[in-house]
Amino acid sequence: MLGTQIRRGLRAGVTRVAGGFAFDMTSDFLKTAVPVPKGNHFEAFEIGRRFEHHWGRTLRNSEAALFSTLTLHFNPLYFNREYAIALGHPETPVNPLMVFTLVLGLSVEDLSEVGGAFLGVDDLAYEAPVYPDDTLTARSTVTGLRESSSNAMMGIATWHTEGFNQRGERVISFVRTNMVPRARPRQDAGAENAQQETAQ
Amino acid sequence: MDRATVATLTAPGSYFEAFEVGAVMKHARGKTVEPLENVLITNLVMNTAAGHFDEHMMKTAPFGRRVVFGGVTTALVVGMASQDTAENALAEIGMTGLRLKSPVFHGDTLYAYTEVVAKEEAEREDAGIVTFRHFGVNQDNVVVCECVRRVLVKRASHWRPA
Repeated sequence: MLGTQIRRGLRAGVTRVAGGFAFDMTSDFLKTAVPVPKGNHFEAFEIGRRFEHHWGRTLRNSEAALFSTLTLHFNPLYFNREYAIALGHPETPVNPLMVFTLVLGLSVEDLSEVGGAFLGVDDLAYEAPVYPDDTLTARSTVTGLRESSSNAMMGIATWHTEGFNQRGERVISFVRTNMVPRARPRQDAGAENAQQETAQ
Repeated sequence: MDRATVATLTAPGSYFEAFEVGAVMKHARGKTVEPLENVLITNLVMNTAAGHFDEHMMKTAPFGRRVVFGGVTTALVVGMASQDTAENALAEIGMTGLRLKSPVFHGDTLYAYTEVVAKEEAEREDAGIVTFRHFGVNQDNVVVCECVRRVLVKRASHWRPA
């Protein structure tokens, strides 16, 4: 039944154009689609709120080598297995910059997906080596919230983000700061604007 | 692989003893940032912010195009600096003061500069800790990122056969 409706809707909404077919944006099918939003606005954050981030990720050897070679990170520790073993490792460790970007990446939907500049990172510590086939998960805690003095639609959020391996050992921690859009303009900013308008 | 062979794989000039506090390096290789780096790494590490990979959506945003993920910029700048600073590193220790100062777009070319900030003893006698300050600049010499990075580097006295 539903399948029939969808097929009918698709037929009604699709028109032939040069080179193929296109959706007609006025069709019922596209107009009835409900957007599925992702991410959090500034209002979602309060000091101390903790996010256990989605998915986790098992890192593989070839993608770790790809990351190092693509970024010209020429330390043979990350792409020469015999060298890594001679230095006391069981296997080539994963480039720590990849561990950093992965743990940050896992945190994005909860923390910064809605946009706003990535300002910086402090106090980053690599706490244990990560090896191919390790599985990493991430969590973050809100540690700082500031208003933007110049933009009533933006806040500045700081989070403490931690990455863990499959044994629960912390492998990385860092503090990240971003601009984060608000869902609604700051109320006191609205009052300031209103006063200015009255004065004018 | 024995120690003598290990020593043949890296340059003699990148051991702990070789670094001088205050020295400033311009690293030899720049890199033009393409979707190859930005979109691949952004997707590989599952950064879900579409502003790094949806060109159509970004056409109507203030920048008018995709913006390179700051983690990719950072990894490239540290990467371009690494042959001269960490070819003989035993480990990355940490990073602080990372600031993304200017947006990077596809087609921009990045270059890396490094100042040697400090040298100190490590807990193990075969290595020392070097602190570097890295700068990444684009083709117009605009600083796009800077950071302070600490690395554990082999000592030639222990790792290079006499």
